Amino acid sequence: MTRYLLRQITLLFFTLLALSLFTFCLSYWFAGSAVTNSSGIFPDDPSYAAIATARGFDGGYFGQYIAYLRHLFAGDWGRSLLDGAPVFEQLIVRFGASLEIMLLALLVAWFPGVAFGVLAALKPGRSVDNTILGMSISGYSIPVFWFAQLAILLVAVQWGLTPIAGQINPLFDIPAVTGSILIDIALAQPANPQAAYYSAFMHMILPVTVLAIMPMMLLIRLTRNSMLDVLNKNYIVSSYAKGMSTRRVLWSHALPNAMQQVIRQLSNLISLLIANTFILEVIFSWPGIGNWLVRSIYERDYPVIQGGLLIIGSLILVTHVLLNLFHAWRYPQVRKDLYAAP
Amino acid sequence: MPRPNLYYEERMPSPLQRVWLEFRRNAFAIGALYILIFIVFISLFGPLLTPYGPNQQFIDAISLPPAWSVNGDVRFLLGTDELGRDMITRLIYGARYSFALPLLVVIISALIGVTLGAVAAMTVGVKSSTLKHLLDVLMSIPSLLLALVIIALTGPGLGNALLAIGLVMIPQFLHVTRNAIHDERRKPYVTASRLNGVSDYYLLTMVFFPNIVRVLVIQFTIGLSVAIFDIAALGFLRLGAQAPTPEWGSMLAQSLEVAYVTPWVMALPGLALFITLVSVNLVGETLRQAIQKQLEQ
Repeated sequence: MTRYLLRQITLLFFTLLALSLFTFCLSYWFAGSAVTNSSGIFPDDPSYAAIATARGFDGGYFGQYIAYLRHLFAGDWGRSLLDGAPVFEQLIVRFGASLEIMLLALLVAWFPGVAFGVLAALKPGRSVDNTILGMSISGYSIPVFWFAQLAILLVAVQWGLTPIAGQINPLFDIPAVTGSILIDIALAQPANPQAAYYSAFMHMILPVTVLAIMPMMLLIRLTRNSMLDVLNKNYIVSSYAKGMSTRRVLWSHALPNAMQQVIRQLSNLISLLIANTFILEVIFSWPGIGNWLVRSIYERDYPVIQGGLLIIGSLILVTHVLLNLFHAWRYPQVRKDLYAAP
Repeated sequence: MPRPNLYYEERMPSPLQRVWLEFRRNAFAIGALYILIFIVFISLFGPLLTPYGPNQQFIDAISLPPAWSVNGDVRFLLGTDELGRDMITRLIYGARYSFALPLLVVIISALIGVTLGAVAAMTVGVKSSTLKHLLDVLMSIPSLLLALVIIALTGPGLGNALLAIGLVMIPQFLHVTRNAIHDERRKPYVTASRLNGVSDYYLLTMVFFPNIVRVLVIQFTIGLSVAIFDIAALGFLRLGAQAPTPEWGSMLAQSLEVAYVTPWVMALPGLALFITLVSVNLVGETLRQAIQKQLEQ
């Protein structure tokens, strides 16, 4: 395990290094002055010369990269070209908002996804299985931006059950500290917390549900396929032969082993979730990172693009490595395969 | 004395043929395949079928509902949008942008990716696990995000969006091809061919290729579904096809403002996209199951 841990951490270190090198290069690849692109200070600003020196632009590329890394770790990620707001502080808040709906959607997707997958695997080829599979494939194919629009039109406008967009009713004065609205309400201690939580919850229902659909449908198929594999194994037959009830066989033998394959493919699911979060944030005006990044691409707000890519890239890389580590830690037989491999 | 015919068939069906036989048993998948063929047909001959141009405006027919509703007009079968453009004409033209172009892009990047992957697998030395791990990590980044990065560099536009998707697809095909060849190269039939002294080129095209083509077909359908979705998503975010282009994603984006007054303007492009994606995914999933079944035999 230690060897695998070290290998994964080395991999993470080098990929993060490559990512930072890439975002550093972006300031040269974008149009305009590289100093402006990385710091957000325009050439006619009086502090321009000082910034250029601090970022090492009078030296070679290597010095510039080191200075870039130093600025990154100091939390100075430049300023937005549009409104001059510091990128890093904005990123923290927006990251929290994105992470909140992503995690909630994953949670919402997880239990029905696994349950339906198991249900389908128990009766392979029967009508239950076919119905669930058909539902899974068509649900997986719904373009998420269309589905979100339909949901807004039907649930929010036609029936008026939920608000159309945003994070919370703007009449609540909740300062954004972490970005995650539920934590922010707890921190802000408003006069009427129940109403604030209720408003935040109502705003959240629609984006989280729409976001959860696609990962759930993928999860159904992943669970079904790995469950089918496991149910054909000898140890399942022997458990039944011992006289164990179907419920116990499922809970203590089939499901834990089926989860192994599901977890191995979980990074696909995460990447699907991240891509959909981007699109949905734009539709629901959720103040998250995807919304911000898309806007900054229209406006060519280069420091924001750099910062946003760096933070989303790091999120993906760290999740990937953590999933690998969890997989190897939880399932010893995976570890054995890894070490036996040349 | 006539030789009795021991075998019913002249020769064994190839792996791909056996997959096709298995595939044909699923009625839904065959239906989906017909839908795809139909979409290819209208993207090739669409302009011959439509009486109007995609951006032709009718001032007397603005925001007409579909023909079967009370206020509809038979001239405009699926109604018109807020600028008086015929919806069905725009949808038919949109098939080119939303289905045919992604299809072409995936075909081109498949050709490049498979070639590079085959070269990488056949040359010794690229076997190191480092490359595999790095590619694994690259695969875990969503293709939409990578396309966004490329569009951030090149600027919005349909051409740039297509280029971005193409560039993103290449490493995926490379990875799949390389892994497939790696999995096959220790099998006895490969060893036998090597002992026969065949050349590397023959080994690749005649020995490996027929056996990995199934994996490539699956990857192709996955790539196609992802490419269609991504092009539409970029169009929807107004980073891909721009305003008057009848691309389904950007039609959806334009319909946002009128979605409540004229819901069909929003519903129809999404429905077209949905049907296309369901068909592609259904064909892909059935192929995957057919291959799985064959491997188990």
